[in-house]
Amino acid sequence: MTTGPGVDPSLGRCVEATRGLFGAAACSIALVDDDGATLEFVASDGAGAEEIVGVTIPVSRGIAGWAAMSGQPIAVRDVQADARFARDVAESTHYVPTAIYAAPMLDPEGEVLGVLSVLDPVVDESSDWTLNVLGTIAGLIAMVMHATPGSPAEPQPLAQLGSDVLRLVASWQAGEPGRSG
Amino acid sequence: MTATPAWSGAFDRGSLEQVVGLPIEDVREWAFGGATGAGVKVAVVDSGVDAEHPRVGGIAGGVAFELDPSAELGYVERDGLHEDLVGHGTACAAIIRALAPEAEIHSVRVLGANLKGRGALLHAGVAWSVEHGMHVANLSLSSKSDAMFGPLHEIADDAYFAGTVLVCAANNLPGPTYPSQYASVISVAARPGDEELALAYNAHPPVEFGARGIDVDVAWADRGSITATGNSFAAPHVSAMVALMRSKHPWLTPLQAKAVLQAASSNSVRG
Repeated sequence: MTTGPGVDPSLGRCVEATRGLFGAAACSIALVDDDGATLEFVASDGAGAEEIVGVTIPVSRGIAGWAAMSGQPIAVRDVQADARFARDVAESTHYVPTAIYAAPMLDPEGEVLGVLSVLDPVVDESSDWTLNVLGTIAGLIAMVMHATPGSPAEPQPLAQLGSDVLRLVASWQAGEPGRSG
Repeated sequence: MTATPAWSGAFDRGSLEQVVGLPIEDVREWAFGGATGAGVKVAVVDSGVDAEHPRVGGIAGGVAFELDPSAELGYVERDGLHEDLVGHGTACAAIIRALAPEAEIHSVRVLGANLKGRGALLHAGVAWSVEHGMHVANLSLSSKSDAMFGPLHEIADDAYFAGTVLVCAANNLPGPTYPSQYASVISVAARPGDEELALAYNAHPPVEFGARGIDVDVAWADRGSITATGNSFAAPHVSAMVALMRSKHPWLTPLQAKAVLQAASSNSVRG
């Protein structure tokens, strides 16, 4: 996992756990700047993690940007068919995904804090299950972040959330020996 | 793992219960048969609509609300056509156009290149739709702002009494979102399937209807198309259904339109 300088390292645990939950190639969190105009990737795990952290994009760009603008989770099965897919950003990370799932992270006042994105998750059926779970996790991370805004000195709630999810994933996979994460 | 929250998991496989609807004879034919949406004004309250996209085929008009701290209300209203900043409004408009080809589509852009003031702009877009006599307004976006609960509730009530049917995407997030939570609107979540006029009613609201929204081939920015999933894409299917029924039966009120949709749902039996 990779986190940006000054970023609560527990966010790294959250993206690591979320990536494990979905069996995804990568997972990242991007946060909205104070002006509400850009998203900066601050934590990532999996393919392209080191390259994507620190990248900033306008909120009107890409699938993550749309989730932030609309406040709605979204899944795109083939982003390469999206003419505005931020291909240059993806290629700079040396991993160009096929599918992107993104959910907004909203604070208790309803303001968009950022976006939780998952690249190429392993889903075994077409349903809105993935969006429901991703949206719920994004909401939980946002709530915990809001409780400890920018406080690296008190990272326990975020770390606990990540650890809990990782433990659940491990126990679930242990029950399904044929499944790879 | 426990079930997903009621506001997002209403249409999970196996959770659909039978409901009792109004005893309308051959209700789907009565509501949609032979209808084109002609004469019905539909507002797409979103990121803008690309009128030139081949799957949209032109729109009747547009207005954009943009933040302006120096303005009295904190935003300004700009009449006229505009670009779609992301592609999402174009996706919604194209779904409506495909099902209700003669509907009058108006683009009401409330999403911009900045996330500030989303709730106020959403409110302004709904108010514009009511003031300009839209018969249907598609809202594939939502707010979780508690501060906007009251103002959005009030304008949703105004829409209901004025005859503007608000069709709102539910949200796959924990907790309530507005205006999809209000009884005065038609709230929609995504269900799998390829049938464009498929509809189901949820016996356990606040999410009331389920429509096609999983792996939908939708129009997107730059005249392109993508395959996307989300409640955002289910709502315009229902907006189109309301446009169809109101083109056949212009006297239908929001109250009646919702009752007809419930009766036309696949899990509804005649009372």
